[in-house]
Amino acid sequence: MPRNETITELGLDEYKYGFVTEDQPVFKAVPGLSEDIVRQISHHKEEPDWMLEFRLKALEVYYSKPMPKWGGDLSKLEDTLDEIYFYLKPQDQMERSWDDVPQEIKDTFEKLGIPEAERKALAGVGAQYESEMVYHSLKEQWEEQGVIFESIEDGLAKHPELFRQYFSTVVPTHDNKFAALNSAVWSGGSFVYIPKGVKVEIPLQAYFRVNAERMGQFERTLIICEEGAEAHYIEGCTAPVYSTDSFHSGVIEIVVKKGARFRYTTIQNWSNNMYNLVTQRALVHEEAKMEWLDGNLGSKLTMKYPSCYLVGERAHGEILSIAYAGDGQHQDTGGKVIHAAPNTTSQITSKSISKGLGRSSYRGLCKVYDGAEGAKSNVECDALLLDETSRTDTYPYIEIDENTASIGHEATVSKVGDEQLFYLMSRGLDEAEAMAMIVRGFIEPVAKELPLEYAIELNRLIELEMEGSVG
Amino acid sequence: MSTMTAGPAESTLAAADFDTLAGGLTEPEAIAEARTAAWERFTALPWPTKKSEEWRYTDLAKVGFEALTPVVPAPATAEALPADVRDVLGRSGERAGVVVLREGRVAHLELEAGVARSGVVLCSIRDAADRHPEVLRRALLEAQPGPAEEKLWALHLALLGGGYFLYVPRGVEMPAPIHAFHIVERAGTLSSAHSFVYGESGARAAVIDEFLSGDLDAETVSLHGATITGEGGAGIEYVALQRFGRGVKRFSTQHVTAGRDSRVVTFNVALGGDLSRADITSRLDGPGSDSEMLALWFGDSDQHFDHHTLQHHAAPHAHSDLLFKGALTDAGSSVFRGLIRVDKGAQLTDAYQTNRNLLLSEGAHASALPNLEIEADDVRCSHGATIGQVEDGQLFYLMSRGLTRRQAERLLVFGFFDEVLGRLPMEGVRARVREAIEEKIGL
Repeated sequence: MPRNETITELGLDEYKYGFVTEDQPVFKAVPGLSEDIVRQISHHKEEPDWMLEFRLKALEVYYSKPMPKWGGDLSKLEDTLDEIYFYLKPQDQMERSWDDVPQEIKDTFEKLGIPEAERKALAGVGAQYESEMVYHSLKEQWEEQGVIFESIEDGLAKHPELFRQYFSTVVPTHDNKFAALNSAVWSGGSFVYIPKGVKVEIPLQAYFRVNAERMGQFERTLIICEEGAEAHYIEGCTAPVYSTDSFHSGVIEIVVKKGARFRYTTIQNWSNNMYNLVTQRALVHEEAKMEWLDGNLGSKLTMKYPSCYLVGERAHGEILSIAYAGDGQHQDTGGKVIHAAPNTTSQITSKSISKGLGRSSYRGLCKVYDGAEGAKSNVECDALLLDETSRTDTYPYIEIDENTASIGHEATVSKVGDEQLFYLMSRGLDEAEAMAMIVRGFIEPVAKELPLEYAIELNRLIELEMEGSVG
Repeated sequence: MSTMTAGPAESTLAAADFDTLAGGLTEPEAIAEARTAAWERFTALPWPTKKSEEWRYTDLAKVGFEALTPVVPAPATAEALPADVRDVLGRSGERAGVVVLREGRVAHLELEAGVARSGVVLCSIRDAADRHPEVLRRALLEAQPGPAEEKLWALHLALLGGGYFLYVPRGVEMPAPIHAFHIVERAGTLSSAHSFVYGESGARAAVIDEFLSGDLDAETVSLHGATITGEGGAGIEYVALQRFGRGVKRFSTQHVTAGRDSRVVTFNVALGGDLSRADITSRLDGPGSDSEMLALWFGDSDQHFDHHTLQHHAAPHAHSDLLFKGALTDAGSSVFRGLIRVDKGAQLTDAYQTNRNLLLSEGAHASALPNLEIEADDVRCSHGATIGQVEDGQLFYLMSRGLTRRQAERLLVFGFFDEVLGRLPMEGVRARVREAIEEKIGL
């Protein structure tokens, strides 16, 4: 197909952030996984005994569970797992001010295009370089309000009671194979606590970045949003291109208490050789509201289904998902809503774009338990196919045990319409511009929910991917 | 009713070997060979478990296949129409032929003389092996079931011999439907029947399969297979009306192949039995083909209905439209799992899939899994699924007109079903289905 040759010739398919920074880790475990590695990780982190026991037990669970057979192709993953490093620690101690952050790491951020001014404006920048937080700041007034925004390790060290009360309660170790793996080797991530009634107006941000080749990243994030509190947490990822498969398997646990509101935003742009298998789950209590905003643009294979367990009356869950699958990519994404209390409501909106040899799959679950009277759920999935080699699938599961529930699911699959293109071109746009405009319109319902800088980044990334796709 | 006399050794499935199943019958070579091979496959394959996606909501381990007595497919013997069949025939409209099957064995078969003169063939599968071996081999014996259906399909073929064969030659338009009755009378049996419908180019045919039994006091399994093929420009309408009594568990596997510019309508109605599962595949095989897949179910008590569908677009410019509606009360449960698959190259596909469910009681539950797998880009595909209850406003209106809650609810269910019924082209068939539903939901 001439169209793909052109993209390759022009080098447009190359990964925008495909640069490598020379790194000098302080400690680097040997590749592969073993009980020794787990003990070393725990030892290096100076963890309490219960956490070491927790990790070791999780390792057993990981070994006992078979590799999932559904979703994406994981057949090559086991070889990959023998080669990756399960733990790296780039620096000895946490940095308190920007000046102390090593130049090398600053360079990496520079290339990602986060302007200095913006960083300062952002409330708390927790940037994850390698496996740990290297930079962490939080505005003073929030500390006064009792907001905790720490690396997960500091969370454990400084707030042991609080940590232990919630850790692994939302995503238990035995939940799935990769949750068990994460539980055994987790490293890095955030610990967030928003006290009762506190409203955090500026988003909390963590910019994740995987750098060393063949390094697995097992970030673990635990967020507790107390009664009536409100906050927005943003996690964004980009990663350089490497020749061997890399692996990312995070676990995100969120507790949203009565009447609280919490939004978690991820824009994932891992390089196209990354396996990205993440368990994201929120426990949503009475009258609370949880929103997942999930953008999946990168990786070789992503399997990620943010979920809301609506356990309190009138709890609301919302999942907005956008996926882009280019050549060689499989985005197996979607969302899960579990209605376990009366009058709970949920909405899933999924938009996917497949191009070249890309494949995007929506996989979702809507479950209403008996007794969840008056539960309402609506799921909408739209898929756009950009050429004849791309593929899309929709696999929703709807399980209803409650007769007063009202559930709807709708999905459409289409290509960019000739009439739409013709109309825009008759108005003076060239075909590429017209195509990009239609795609922007398609993702608009999700993009408009993003903070401005992310919406701009998303549009820029989509445009970059779209270039040369008309021919 | 009397039972058949062809008396092979009776034993349970667990104790049966192929010789007992063959029962010393002489049968055409094509069938004997296919049956032997199928029996070998059946004994080699494991039963599907709830771990497989296709059987996630219906547990085959709860069906005691091993303890059932397989009914050996015996040759057809002419017999008078049973009274309840005569009763149904007396009430429903015109027909071109009648088939009566007992535990899968063809017990009665008649075809209107004028229709027979036009070249239409209606006979038992066994006789078809002599008269149309090529068509039978191609469309049925070599059919490839999906992996999840393989075990039951092998068992079905191993018991083949029962069932009927309808062949409509090029350009022949049948004036009225064939009405087939599948009667199950013996509790504790495992029987199998096949409905084979083949329309050459430009042929028109309609068939209604009606499944009947009384309430049986021991677990009984009825296997059914249907092969429905329309060549270029053919028009075929197929209805399966399942109104078994309690005690019966039914598994039906239906393969539809729609050739160029043909139109095939299938309509499955599930009302009876303890468990009723249907695997329905429509293969859009030729450009311009059109498949309409319809279904209705009404479950009460602890009935369980499972509908599993595939709309397989293998050719460009084809159209398929699925509309399945179910209503459940008491502790009734249902599953709909449907897939639209669009192959690479099946451009300009138009495929739709809709599943709507009404839950009328607290104990009822429904699962819906409408799936899409699309590998062509110039397609229009959509699917939708809803699960809900009858609207309060509508109930209130009817009750304010003097109906009881139950009456109002049932009337609304009937209205809910009407959208599907209205899509059945043949008035006679539509009337029969409507009648059966009225009887079940007790308007």
